[in-house]
Amino acid sequence: MRNRSTLLMAGALLWSAIPVLAHHSFASEFDSNKSITLKGVVTKVEWLNPHAWFYIDVKDDSGGVQHWQCESGPPNILARNGWRKDSLKPGDEVTVYGFRAKDGTTTANAREVLLPSGKKVFSGSNDDGPGAK
Amino acid sequence: MRLLFGLTVIGSVWLTISGAAGQSGGASAQAKAQAGPVPRMADGKPDLSGVWQRPFVQDMSKSGRDQQGEANLPYTDWAKQHLIEEFDYSAHCLPLGYTRGMNSPMPIEIVQRPDRVVILYEMNNTFHIVYTDGREHPKDLEPSWFGHSIGKWDGDTLMVDTVGFNDKTRVDTEGHPHTEGLHVVEHFKRTDANHIAYDVTIADPGAYTRPWKNVRTFTLRPDWEIAEYSCEENNKEVNEGHIK
Repeated sequence: MRNRSTLLMAGALLWSAIPVLAHHSFASEFDSNKSITLKGVVTKVEWLNPHAWFYIDVKDDSGGVQHWQCESGPPNILARNGWRKDSLKPGDEVTVYGFRAKDGTTTANAREVLLPSGKKVFSGSNDDGPGAK
Repeated sequence: MRLLFGLTVIGSVWLTISGAAGQSGGASAQAKAQAGPVPRMADGKPDLSGVWQRPFVQDMSKSGRDQQGEANLPYTDWAKQHLIEEFDYSAHCLPLGYTRGMNSPMPIEIVQRPDRVVILYEMNNTFHIVYTDGREHPKDLEPSWFGHSIGKWDGDTLMVDTVGFNDKTRVDTEGHPHTEGLHVVEHFKRTDANHIAYDVTIADPGAYTRPWKNVRTFTLRPDWEIAEYSCEENNKEVNEGHIK
């Protein structure tokens, strides 16, 4: 099941490298000049509208842990692109590529997620940000 | 593990992927291979009914897969002063407005009857009615988020004329402005069983010195259903103050 899910998502990557959100504009929440890569462990997933969110714990250089929340696309679009509610699960070690929120909190817009399997998948978030035009 | 801050790598990765594929690329190619004749109503008019996948048009002045925009919009002085949106009304789950509904990334279902064409939007689970029974726009329309639409057939092309807008929306996610004088004219032509050729013209003398157009292709998705969508369910962006 897990392999199938991963394959679906990998297929979706090519097919769905698209702008996919209209709930709000990218620029109203995120800073296109602050790209970020976060490597951490998933602690919670919210498969809810208008965006799916997942939470990861990220160890920093000083041994502390930062709690990050990452915004993805809406569940309906993620599902059509091959994601499932359990595609990301607590305990999964992931790398998230995205952009930081303008307000300086540990909040990010997730563009892509590198899964434990080594597959990098598009996370279908609001893409009126950099690279989308 | 370390906290890593990427700089340009992410953007270039995204650009590469973005250029490689689009929302309807695979579906479109598949559909074209299987396209049959245009379905028709009992009255002989093309039947636009179905679930349609459309390009997500965030910026109607730009072009992308399955859509073409006009690069240099003819702003009036008023529009130039109102290009920046301070309040993101869509983040607060207010209605998107007609053109942003048609721009939205999630599918629409069109339900056609002889006297009206109903558009069901997955985005915000809203709807719009285009009257095709010969009526005209009511006089003294109260300005509204989605305006008032009448449709007329020109051969096999449905022309939809929409007026009566409020000035609380933007024409696209990018935030191109409009006034209550916005007049939207669209054409829907089902070119084969699986495609609609769509264009939309924005006329608004208060915001643009001449009308301008965006052209798109919609692709039938018989395997899809319009899904439930709630903007308010977990609107963390606003509820937690990330968006004011």
